[in-house]
Amino acid sequence: MIDSKELDFDAIVVGSGISGGWAAKELTEKGLKVLVLERGKPMEAGSGYLGEHAPNWKLPFQGKKPRELYETQYPVQSKVTHSFNEATRQFWNNDMENPYAMDEGKPFLWARSDVVGGRSLIWGRQTYRLSEQDFEANATDGHGIPWPVGYKDIAPWYSYVEKFAGINGKKEGLPQLPDSEFQKPMPWFAIEETIHERLKKKAPDVTLTNGRVAILTEDLPGRKACHYCGPCARGCSTGSYFSSQSSTLPAAQATGNLTLRANSVVDRLEYDSESGKVSRVHVIDAETKERLSFTAKIFFLCASTVGSTQILLNSASEDFPDGLANSSGVLGRFMMDHTLGLSGVGLFLDNMDSYYHGNRPTGLYIPRFRNLEGQDDDLDFVRGYGYQTVTLRTDWQTNYNSKGFGASFKDSLRKPGPWIFALAGFTECLPRESNRMYLSKDKVDRYGIPQVVFDFEWSENEINLRKDATKQADRLLKAAGAVLAIGGDDKMSTPGEGIHEMGTARMGADPGESVLNAYNQTHDVPNLFVTDGSFMTSASCVNPSLTYMAFTARACDYAVKQIAEGRL
Amino acid sequence: MNRREFLQCAAILMSGATASQLGFTLNEEQTVYLASAPNYNTNPVDYFSDGQRKIVAAMSEVIIPRTDTPGAIDAGVPAYIELMVANWFNDGERVIFNAGLADIESRIPVQYGKPFNQLSAQQQLEIMEALEEAESDSPWYEFGNVLREFISDAPFICQFKELTVWGFFTSQEGATQVLRYDPMPMYFDGDTALTPQDSSWSTFL
Repeated sequence: MIDSKELDFDAIVVGSGISGGWAAKELTEKGLKVLVLERGKPMEAGSGYLGEHAPNWKLPFQGKKPRELYETQYPVQSKVTHSFNEATRQFWNNDMENPYAMDEGKPFLWARSDVVGGRSLIWGRQTYRLSEQDFEANATDGHGIPWPVGYKDIAPWYSYVEKFAGINGKKEGLPQLPDSEFQKPMPWFAIEETIHERLKKKAPDVTLTNGRVAILTEDLPGRKACHYCGPCARGCSTGSYFSSQSSTLPAAQATGNLTLRANSVVDRLEYDSESGKVSRVHVIDAETKERLSFTAKIFFLCASTVGSTQILLNSASEDFPDGLANSSGVLGRFMMDHTLGLSGVGLFLDNMDSYYHGNRPTGLYIPRFRNLEGQDDDLDFVRGYGYQTVTLRTDWQTNYNSKGFGASFKDSLRKPGPWIFALAGFTECLPRESNRMYLSKDKVDRYGIPQVVFDFEWSENEINLRKDATKQADRLLKAAGAVLAIGGDDKMSTPGEGIHEMGTARMGADPGESVLNAYNQTHDVPNLFVTDGSFMTSASCVNPSLTYMAFTARACDYAVKQIAEGRL
Repeated sequence: MNRREFLQCAAILMSGATASQLGFTLNEEQTVYLASAPNYNTNPVDYFSDGQRKIVAAMSEVIIPRTDTPGAIDAGVPAYIELMVANWFNDGERVIFNAGLADIESRIPVQYGKPFNQLSAQQQLEIMEALEEAESDSPWYEFGNVLREFISDAPFICQFKELTVWGFFTSQEGATQVLRYDPMPMYFDGDTALTPQDSSWSTFL
């Protein structure tokens, strides 16, 4: 714990999740004295994972969820992810203590963690590169503004973070989904091989490949290959999946240059007109409510898209009346999230005599296959979607509502049933000015900080993408040989449910219509960087965390060089 | 297992050689670290009368009897049901359950001359089948209607069955002796042989 309010650091990083962890690692390894401020509770890697490996018979209610507690204390967090349960609840925010507001009739689910490590502890671990087509999408179809960064600029940084994070997957050589630096891929179920053979013949326009995940299949220093227990979201004391706790924070700690302060809610950044820089960060201690402030040469906001944007908006001053670094007026706008949901569920009677050993913590993936060579003539949408797949063997959990009694009933429930192979579409979202977050004028949180208000709706393009994903899922499941294909219902996920909120401080070449330059540095304030999802100029359809890692590492490299050149 | 023991265990995992090279797998005691609470179904509860307890136990055993493997009573299902009705059900669900149980308690001795738990296996089965038949069009039985926490207006027999099946297969006995349990599989193989007699894995919820 830091007891002096006068400590000076080279860099202050706000947030200890995926982006903050990377900023901490990169900056400390380059010799900077770094303070990481995390609003959540302290937690130790490993020993802090209270639910890890707890068998079902030890869980409260043997795994049935305590409904009243969730409805009264966790109405958002318990809805936003299926992995919210008594074995993972410790990582999440209590909604009653951390309220936010929504515009009338426009629901938004804001998933928030409440511990050191942030959402890196509970993320889905899916890691995909954006492609050249993704970086050119805005310039090509005119939605949003052009990215100031191309694929070739960021590709080396993808490689750099992938080698450290540990990604497993299979090389495919696809232009729309560039290969990463892979560890050996996880094996497949026999039913998946069967489906793959059929798709190659009957749906050659799609590729079925491994889900690319930040989970080790080969040991890395201090981290072990996956032991296939299954529920990653409970935390992993062997560090087999990438989290700040398992990977970047220990690396930062090892330099001796890291100071980590939990329970530190950032209120605002102070802008100094004379120097034209941020001079100080104002913090409220979550436990004692004591007010503190810290100074540094450079500041990295990595507090998640909504968190960082809230801090900037709340840091308005005479120089920046609409929010710090917001001379463009776009801060808080152009918010995006991915729509997601089951697009189709197929029942299969093949490979019934084949079973499995171990719980593979990912499904397979079908990369984008629509609008690849420019705009397809027959489609009523731009851009595309990918499918994450789920393979499971039905068991008592899928059949416990069957009829019957006695020994034969028991026997049928204890044995595996047919296979299920399901497709979940993740669709791209266009950047639109009207999708935004802003600060409430009259509602404050328990620290007196104005609450975030969301005003977000899906547009016709996302709705049409989702419909197409459902239609194509039916085609693919039938081509795959499903004896029964149950269609999704085209229902749009609630905004925020993708937990991929992004774009509210987008990067661009023109300071008049973007907050950040190509190096995640704000146009207005040279010593201020934002490297979480806020910077995303477009959303792609792939899971974004890997991109946050790569841009964070690149921004740190740039910032340190700028310091060395005497510019910061 | 206390904190120190856990940290030692984690240290082994983190030190150099892979777990498989060491022939190292976590034993069961080590894998329950912070969920080292007693088994849920051994928690104290005092909601049913003694007579009701006997009926609930007998009913659960009709659904999942002891065969060459443990049955509902062996697996602590009666206590699980009592805990869930007392502590997990909402008021409306409790009203349905209490009424259903009161019906068995009062009606069966009139019809059969003895309480449910003293009837022959055949008579018990007959009563349970009649309960299920009377509710056979309940949406609770619809195929795939399992991805939810609970159906609050489900009839008594459906409530009872859900708690019995769930309580059985998530119990230690059900998971380890009827299903197959391996909390630390160490590798993934997607194509192993399955014979018609093999059980499913017990997986983490």
